[in-house]
Amino acid sequence: MTDYVDAGEAIPHAQLSNVTGEAPATGNVDHERIRGARSEPENWLTYYGTYDGKRHSDLDQINTGNVRRLTPAWVFQAGAVGMQSGASTYSFEAAPIVVEGVMYVSGPDGKAWAIDARTGQELWRYKHASPYDVSLCCGNVNRGLAVAHGKVYMYTLNAHLIALDARTGKLVWDTVNGDVRAGESGSVAPLVVKDMVICGSAGGEFGVRGHLDAFDAETGERRWRCYTVPKPGEPGSETWPDDGEAWQRGGANCWVTPTYDPELELLFQGTGNPAPDFDGAVRPGDNLYTDSTVAVDVNTGEIRWHYQFTPHDLWDYDSTMENVLFDAPDGRKLLAHADKNGYFFVLDRTNGELVRVFPFVDRITWGEITPEGKVTPKIYPDEEGVPVHFWPGPAGGKEWTHMSYNPQTGLIYIPVQEVGATATRRRREFKESIPYWGAGVAVDIEDFYGFVSAVDPLTGEEKWRWNNEYPMCASNLSTAGGLVFQGTPTGEFVALDAATGEKLWSFQCGSGHHSSPTTFSVDGRQYIAVPTGWGGWIEGFLPGLLGAAAGDALFCFALPES
Amino acid sequence: MTTTEGDRAAELAAAGLDGQNRTALGRLINTGSIGYAEEDADGVLRATVRIPEDELRYDPAILILPHGGDIVLTLINDDKNTHCAVLPSNGDPKFIWLVNHAKGTATLNLDGPGTYYYGSASGNDEGRGLTGAIVIGGEVPDHAKLDRPPQPRP
Repeated sequence: MTDYVDAGEAIPHAQLSNVTGEAPATGNVDHERIRGARSEPENWLTYYGTYDGKRHSDLDQINTGNVRRLTPAWVFQAGAVGMQSGASTYSFEAAPIVVEGVMYVSGPDGKAWAIDARTGQELWRYKHASPYDVSLCCGNVNRGLAVAHGKVYMYTLNAHLIALDARTGKLVWDTVNGDVRAGESGSVAPLVVKDMVICGSAGGEFGVRGHLDAFDAETGERRWRCYTVPKPGEPGSETWPDDGEAWQRGGANCWVTPTYDPELELLFQGTGNPAPDFDGAVRPGDNLYTDSTVAVDVNTGEIRWHYQFTPHDLWDYDSTMENVLFDAPDGRKLLAHADKNGYFFVLDRTNGELVRVFPFVDRITWGEITPEGKVTPKIYPDEEGVPVHFWPGPAGGKEWTHMSYNPQTGLIYIPVQEVGATATRRRREFKESIPYWGAGVAVDIEDFYGFVSAVDPLTGEEKWRWNNEYPMCASNLSTAGGLVFQGTPTGEFVALDAATGEKLWSFQCGSGHHSSPTTFSVDGRQYIAVPTGWGGWIEGFLPGLLGAAAGDALFCFALPES
Repeated sequence: MTTTEGDRAAELAAAGLDGQNRTALGRLINTGSIGYAEEDADGVLRATVRIPEDELRYDPAILILPHGGDIVLTLINDDKNTHCAVLPSNGDPKFIWLVNHAKGTATLNLDGPGTYYYGSASGNDEGRGLTGAIVIGGEVPDHAKLDRPPQPRP
């Protein structure tokens, strides 16, 4: 009999680090405070900064006159433990939230942190141990957290909505909200509205039935669920085959955070592509509510109106992208949406009426949309085994990464991708958890470029553009300092003049950008925070950089103190 | 308990992939024995994982659990070298040193279903085979399932 040395009980990994384990208490973030987030620009209280999705800050300490002096204040290295090493490992896609000097941010692989926003000191960490084999379309990623009611909310890769104690990072509640055996997963940053947490599902590439859900912020109990593909007999079901199974596997997932109008009490949610992505013959009809913006009553979960950007999509043109809320000079309540299909839409957000549509990319070959909104497909994979090339590719003229709107210039700054793809239809039978595309797809690895386009949404006029050799695959940020911050796939973080597009500053972060920068201030000092890390679904949006430098770090920039 | 490896083990042995420094330098990951956790009356799952002498592997290499929840692993190092284990657990991974002829425990919380990997993040241990898997079976709760008829599975 061997006398074993007593190895004791396994300890939390963080115990072998300098993590303090506790964040300072901050003032209560609640619905009214998030609703008034514009009035406290020192904080970045919710995913887009404000409910309207403008991604604009009124901070102006860093401005066109001094941005050349911007330097790193600190860097937080996310890192990884274990055997995984791939594009998914490094895609740091979140938008950091900041409340009174405490930053809350999520990373790849189920990780979340509280960080001292002045110094970069790690205060607490949480890691959700998601299975390695969850069906994930687009990387081992998470787009961010929501903070409210003393809690931090995260939607996990294996579709659990969890609440953590904002001071300690300890689990408060855990609600299972998706079926991983069906191919459902979670990557979205939740949104807190009133006393509810809102989050949508992912998994359209695996033929699930998309939905948006609301939960009690205190208990995690579900309040309502809104399916974005109707059952037979429900409104919109006439756009699906009435004698088939297509609606059961229809996609239309809500994998990007909605915007919200507190006066109308409507959530504006973009929905994903129909499944299968490229084989429309198994789902004749317009396939509502795929590729749409749906206006959802926040109190009931009912769809009040919808606008479909690509009826009967055959190109993987999800419309999950953000819906930016702004008002026209005459007071009309509008909504701006740059769609994957290469067209920019302005809608009346009270009723979904089309106000304006115009292209925002250079190359559109899949079809045409008239100024009146009439959609005419031209090129699509309708013959088995026959390759078809089209622009934009399935990542779209703009993917999920976000544009910003500066109320001072009246311009919207769009991160544009100019990448095409070839799809070859290959019909397959549906099976749960298996990719359900209906085609083989190869995105171009040459002949691409990108730019930031400054567009007047009231006229459709492009005021300026900043060109780049590579497509723009990251969100940008607008500030009252007259700046637009934009990360590039090759690692540069640049500041552009919001009025002219002139590049005023650049810093090489060592790995590409595929995240959402935010800004905040502590003790009167303004910071710009940007998670970096080239990764995720690179083969879908820019395979020409699949071999680029990887690494997941969060940079925080500020002007020198002296 | 650990099951026999059957035909797959014979196949791996024939290929020289079942041990250290045969065809490869180390051992292919998760090409070892399969074990099953036992469930206590209180629902806690328990299993023992050993590190055999000079084999640089966890035994069982693949541990199967009927469902997620709390798991107590007993870890025993029968090797004449020091190893460790960094194990997945909700909240934070758990770490344990396992010096020569050491025995300890790890209390984990994992969701199901799905596969979780762990390893000895010490030196080159993972590269030589000290990577294990915890596989959780079962289904998600009914309230988490989609409102649609049952669908075909692979």
